[in-house]
Amino acid sequence: MTEIAIHIKLFGAFRKFGDALDFSVPAGSTVAAIKKVMSEFIKGKESTLVFDSVLANDNAVLPDNYIFEANAKLCILPPVCGG
Amino acid sequence: MIQSIHTSVSSNFLNIQNAYDFVSDPAHGAVDLFIGAVRNHHEGKPVTGITYDIHDELAVKEFQEICMEAQNIWEGIKIYLSHYKGKLDVGGISVIIAVSAAHRTEAFEACRYIIEELKKRAPVWKQEHYELGNSEWLPGHSLMANAAQLEARLLQEDKKTQKSSGGCGNGACGCGGRK
Repeated sequence: MTEIAIHIKLFGAFRKFGDALDFSVPAGSTVAAIKKVMSEFIKGKESTLVFDSVLANDNAVLPDNYIFEANAKLCILPPVCGG
Repeated sequence: MIQSIHTSVSSNFLNIQNAYDFVSDPAHGAVDLFIGAVRNHHEGKPVTGITYDIHDELAVKEFQEICMEAQNIWEGIKIYLSHYKGKLDVGGISVIIAVSAAHRTEAFEACRYIIEELKKRAPVWKQEHYELGNSEWLPGHSLMANAAQLEARLLQEDKKTQKSSGGCGNGACGCGGRK
């Protein structure tokens, strides 16, 4: 099975884990599957925060059933509170 | 063409005069200005400052979308929206929204709409700093619902595209392949 490289920039509460996470997943993985893998990298209360967060590219938020067939540069956006 | 919307993320201190100058218009008799500032307490804890983290590209895009929605509702208004990125002490200005309109009602209503939508939708996060030296990221509004709405909208658009172009809907013909 082909593996693809996922690079995820971290924001907000995820910053304490660094600027970004890098890992591989099988091609054809969904956003939901990537979040599950990511939750295994993240320790503590932020582990469950992954599932209240969304993944996005530089243009848009991606729905949970979005499928990745190639390497991707993404970011994870935890719940927002601007102003 | 005169611009009627300004949106930005800035690591420089925000300037109220810039906001007023941008929206000022001889045809507008009302300017409403919202200023968000760092307060010295939160849920009983003394606060010394806040760090604002922002996804710049997505935030500006969302600001622009919110402002365009406001202009669709209240026609003819001019809008300035800038959000600070970085650390601010108590009293520091985190966000400025200025709206000008012919009359005060639409200026007030549009300004309120923009700040409320920004709080729910813009990728901005706050880390509060406390007197004891500890810090905490504040909870917020999950964008999961927004993602679901987007998904529904994209599905609708895909259906329309398929009807008009005969696309396959699963990417085999290069139509996007969204599930």
